[in-house]
Amino acid sequence: MSTVALKEEDSHTHDHHHKESFVSKYIFSMDHKMISKQFLITGIIMGVIGMGMSMLFRLQLAWPDEQFGILEMLLGKWAVDGKLDPNFYMGLVTIHGTIMVFYVLTAGLSGTFSNLLIPLQVGARDMASPFLNMLSYWFFFLSSVVLLSSVFVETGPASAGWTVYPPLSALEKAVPGSGLGMTLWLVAIALFIVSALFGGINYISTVLNMRTKGMSMNRMPLTIWAFLFTAILGVLSFPVLLGASLFLIFDRSFGTSFYLSDIYLDGIGALENVGGSPVLYQHLFWFLGHPEVYIILLPALGITSEVISTNARKPIFGYSAMVISLASISFLSFIVWGHHMFITGMNPFLGSVFMILTLIIAVPSAVKAFNYLATLWRGNLRLTPAMLFSIGLVSFFISGGLTGIYLGNAALDIQMHDSYFVVAHFHLVMGSAAIFGMMAGIYHWFPRMYGRMMNDTLGYFHFWITFITAYLVFFPMHFMGLAGVPRRYYQFTLMEDFSIWGDVNKLITVASLVGGFAQILFLYNFFNSIFRGKKSAQNPWQSNTLEWTSPIEVRLHGNWPKELPTVYRGPYEYSRPDRVEDFFPQHIKDEGFPEILITTESKVAPKKVVLEEPSNVFFTAIKRIFGLSR
Amino acid sequence: MAENKIKDRLPLIAPAKFNLWLFMLSSSMLFAAFLSAYIVQRPDSIAKQTWTVFDLPVYFFYSLIIAMLSSVSIQLAHRAAKNDELARNKHLIIVTFIFGLLFTLSQCLGWQELLLLDLTFVNPRPEDISASYVWVITLIHFVHILGGIVLLVIAWVKATQFKIHKKQMNFMSITNTYWHFVGLLWFILYFFIYFAR
Repeated sequence: MSTVALKEEDSHTHDHHHKESFVSKYIFSMDHKMISKQFLITGIIMGVIGMGMSMLFRLQLAWPDEQFGILEMLLGKWAVDGKLDPNFYMGLVTIHGTIMVFYVLTAGLSGTFSNLLIPLQVGARDMASPFLNMLSYWFFFLSSVVLLSSVFVETGPASAGWTVYPPLSALEKAVPGSGLGMTLWLVAIALFIVSALFGGINYISTVLNMRTKGMSMNRMPLTIWAFLFTAILGVLSFPVLLGASLFLIFDRSFGTSFYLSDIYLDGIGALENVGGSPVLYQHLFWFLGHPEVYIILLPALGITSEVISTNARKPIFGYSAMVISLASISFLSFIVWGHHMFITGMNPFLGSVFMILTLIIAVPSAVKAFNYLATLWRGNLRLTPAMLFSIGLVSFFISGGLTGIYLGNAALDIQMHDSYFVVAHFHLVMGSAAIFGMMAGIYHWFPRMYGRMMNDTLGYFHFWITFITAYLVFFPMHFMGLAGVPRRYYQFTLMEDFSIWGDVNKLITVASLVGGFAQILFLYNFFNSIFRGKKSAQNPWQSNTLEWTSPIEVRLHGNWPKELPTVYRGPYEYSRPDRVEDFFPQHIKDEGFPEILITTESKVAPKKVVLEEPSNVFFTAIKRIFGLSR
Repeated sequence: MAENKIKDRLPLIAPAKFNLWLFMLSSSMLFAAFLSAYIVQRPDSIAKQTWTVFDLPVYFFYSLIIAMLSSVSIQLAHRAAKNDELARNKHLIIVTFIFGLLFTLSQCLGWQELLLLDLTFVNPRPEDISASYVWVITLIHFVHILGGIVLLVIAWVKATQFKIHKKQMNFMSITNTYWHFVGLLWFILYFFIYFAR
């Protein structure tokens, strides 16, 4: 099923030349392309803030006894005498995690590229509900404002970690950050969930219901498959986080005790309302929390599939296997949340079940990694900045994914839980990989968004500095974690066992500062290119997908000035031997195979050509599979 | 501008209807979360002897009957619109609206009965957590009912403006589907809590 003509009542027409005011065009726009830019710019701003916070607390970890005048200048009472306040340190860690996970890598990544690419790549005029789409962005914006405002309240921002486990998050007087800052965090997340649901519902509806003629499911680009599964994950798991947040709000503000059990201070019960369980929150939180990992990662993987295939000038290796892998990862992500809770004292049998299910995820993940490598293998590689970032993603996906096998094992996880090993693992496989996927997407589709090209030289510098510093930051953390260094600690110099890691901490901090400041190259390149970049050709990467058939120089609400394009083939038909050009856009009608390919064998094979011996067929097939013979 | 108008092929299912189904799926997950929490908490609290078992107020059962009757009336309203019986459609929407108000009344009486039994939303005693769950589940369901009542009002206004008829059934279908959904949801929630007290 793609689309069919409907009854008279549903028939409608598009007038694509309606006038728009400044407000309707740039602010409350209902055009998916403008909304994608709004998500991107807001995501970039949030990313700069989130990364800036990490640089501040890295300073503290590297030089805990030093005083930095700049900290006092920036943070005022939170850094008296240039030394970061311990409570504010926890606040920074919490808000950094929240911003990066939800605001940059969920909304910034999925919001940007799902909005930009879904209608364009499936051949739709816009999203199923442009109004809902607009609301999705504005809820996200409001949520961002509320979250950032929490940094400025008297008692500081939420400081219970980005997972906001109770009782720290449930008791208003637990720590300073449990007060108003925590309330604002919850309000921000509730708004964010509404935004994510509006967006997700729209994405699914558009993909399943609004594809153009000929765009069958098996002809959809892998980006669309990835966005579809991401949206399904979001629509099914974010409501559970909403439920968890509601319980938390009721516990904090109304006097219920869903998460509050007995807490004794000096032998006296400290709470008026008890009877609940803080572990219940963990179950509910991680039912979203683990799919959230894939809500972050799948769009980046989809983008990488597209970028790698286009720039290797080869069909993606194993299209069906890639789709099945995405589906398997999505399904499994719902039944493995318990691996975040091995140390809660869960039944060992249950722990084993979660462990086995978790380890099974390695299979579809490995399929994807090998398929990327096989696509690259003997490809006619164009090492554009987007391509380099995609290859960088594959690197992080493999190196970070391997440590997931350690952490998925209950016996090991119990030792390494809440250590820097965990920090290293998820920053590589989820953080760096997804950021690199996002960067790949920005460099690749910048011409589609702004009609101009980004500067390649700056892009290469940006890639190499970011790639090297990301490994310098996160790789040493594995060793710290293995040595038992716990995460979220304010100062390690007070403990002899941990103070030996002082120099490593300095190295990590220096690398993070270099990597952080390298992003200025990207910011300059991005904003400068919007106005001064070289004008782009209509299809600068000679890609097959439909987004390059919609005019990029004119902003057109409705995407195509005339009829919607019809699709005749899959999106990855690169370097076909029967074509002069090495790409074959999806919308170009096939004019038939050259005669030589459709005539009988006796006519095709010249008499003197020696056909392969039957015994060689196997080896020839193997060679062809691995690209050694074409 | 007429020459610029292009007639597109349209989706098989109207986008608003498709979105509604996805919203209902999403909403079901919210209640699945509440019920899962209930399932996890109950045996734990029973083991600690901190779980009050109480009979659900009879008014909640009346709510169930009302929900079933209102499902019938909204279905008849939908059928009337499909057959272009516009007056009948309007009357049946009003009937469903009245059932919606009766549902609201029965819920309020049910909550009042809980309060009389000292089963409050907040739980000063640990064993009252079972009541907190009932309150949260019924209140959040009631928010969904309010959404349905708003839809009914809009449907009635549209019906009076002759914007609902056999060639323009989208909004009526959406209202019909959503009303069945909230009714079915109450059916599931009621019997779940009834049997898993």
